[in-house]
Amino acid sequence: MLEAKGLMVFYENMLALNNIDIKCEAGQIVGVFGANSAGKSTLMYTLSGIMQDIKKKEEMSGGERITVMGEVKYQNETITDLKPSQRARKGIVLCPERRRIFSESSVLENLKIGAYLATRSQAKYTLEYVFKLFPALEKLKKRIGGFLSGGEQQMLAIGRALMAQPKVLLLDEPLLGLSPLMQATLILATREIRDEMNISIIITEQYARPVMPIVDYAFILENGSAVMEGTKEELMDNRDIRAAYFGVEESYT
Amino acid sequence: MTLPSEQERKERIDRGIKIRSDSIYAMMSHRELSYLTLPRLILIVGMLMIPLVIPSMYWQRVFTISCIYALLAISFDFLAHYVGLVSLGGAFFVGTGGYLAAIANTSLGLPPWLTVPLATLVGGGLCTLLLLPCLPLRGVYFAIVSLMYPLFLARVIEALDILGGTDGIMGIDSFPNHWVEQYFIICILLLILFGARRLVNMDIGLVLRGVKDNDQAIRASGISVTFYKSVAVFIASAMGCLSGACLVHIYMWSGISQFALDFSIIPIAATVIGGGGTLVGPLLGCLILVPISELLRDFGTLRIVFYALILVAFIIFRSEGIMVYGQRKYHQFERWIKY
Repeated sequence: MLEAKGLMVFYENMLALNNIDIKCEAGQIVGVFGANSAGKSTLMYTLSGIMQDIKKKEEMSGGERITVMGEVKYQNETITDLKPSQRARKGIVLCPERRRIFSESSVLENLKIGAYLATRSQAKYTLEYVFKLFPALEKLKKRIGGFLSGGEQQMLAIGRALMAQPKVLLLDEPLLGLSPLMQATLILATREIRDEMNISIIITEQYARPVMPIVDYAFILENGSAVMEGTKEELMDNRDIRAAYFGVEESYT
Repeated sequence: MTLPSEQERKERIDRGIKIRSDSIYAMMSHRELSYLTLPRLILIVGMLMIPLVIPSMYWQRVFTISCIYALLAISFDFLAHYVGLVSLGGAFFVGTGGYLAAIANTSLGLPPWLTVPLATLVGGGLCTLLLLPCLPLRGVYFAIVSLMYPLFLARVIEALDILGGTDGIMGIDSFPNHWVEQYFIICILLLILFGARRLVNMDIGLVLRGVKDNDQAIRASGISVTFYKSVAVFIASAMGCLSGACLVHIYMWSGISQFALDFSIIPIAATVIGGGGTLVGPLLGCLILVPISELLRDFGTLRIVFYALILVAFIIFRSEGIMVYGQRKYHQFERWIKY
């Protein structure tokens, strides 16, 4: 469904993504795991097209030169040069790292802004669905976004992304800085979204363990390169991966 | 589809000499020494030569006025890019400095050599005091307040008919002759330019840049944000008052047109054209903009149109500014490589 081939991104002379091939089939949840500076966010920005925006801004202000090579395909159509808004229209919606909610608007307003691309009935239906998915948000719907807790803000960010009627949802580090309990809630919600809305999800995270149970396929990034990919079982069989990304230590005997 | 290996990428690399000259090894050879000093030398010698090269008195005067604007532009650039305060107060500083120098000269009978430093220091203190209430705040407050003060002061002078009222204060002493006037202003300008560049790289400059990036983190480090902001505002407003004091001695007259918005707007435009954050850029911008606006004087009100077109073109095509672009070209070279 969404596919990237030979993706290379340079920030000035620094290689941020090195020849990445990534694929997400319809209805799949694909995990992308890696440490800080592995290139997870760069990958998400490139897939969602935000990278074009960043690139243009840097060019205008005489900052870093960003070079993007390779191809992004969506439903067998090349979208490498499409702007983020055009990609969102096609159904590729990013839920950005650090939530980026509109902190001066209320919860309800945040969700309504997200529904810009939706028809009136879609918006109404999705709003009900978001409140069903995250009952905590419904109680807080008059609350100003900036006063929500981290977990509530993340729910709101996911809800806002859903309002844009995604076909592929890109979740960039949704568990960042959340308690284990909140992490579990969000992960279950993510699976529910996939099952009920029948969409594809690409999710990035540093620590794979909480996310692993729900992914169908996963990639592991290290310094911009995909060092490993495979199904859940294939990755879990690898001892190094288990130690590095799942925190399962065992002695080498 | 082109394979990644067939694609090319333009690469930017620091010149080796730049990397070496960042450390003490710049002293190793004449070539590296000149790489560092040449641009600065061109600026200094160029500035000192311009009055000798320009033939007519009229254009020499235009050049002097450009230097006055350049002082204001450096003050704007310093506040905006190193402290994070967007000041629209050029007119406020010029007016305050100008009137102080005028009063000191006509009422107290002090010569220009005393009125200029006096107006600089007292004016800087006065402006800082008046702007103090909005310094602990973030956001547009500083810009708005600094924009309102000159309008306020001009109306007060007009309504109460003090300080000469609408006629202004006349009979102010001029500098001894126009050479002294020009070289005094050029030297002051160069001193302030290099001084400001030094200042922003000293410890206090680090704190100020920190205030711009994240004032909460600065507070958490136990540093008083308001104190450092007021120091910065004092430095910037003193620069502005200095230019105002010079201006009244050039014109031998001080009036409410010293509070005109031109003094706030042209420095900002010059900073956009020259390249914000470089401190040299605003100077360059003034040397381009002020003469152009003089040249266009024949066109009457149409000159605003030309002026606006130049600005818009710059913002669209080169919003980084001349100096940022120039410095990059000087320090780096580019080449195409297979990724």
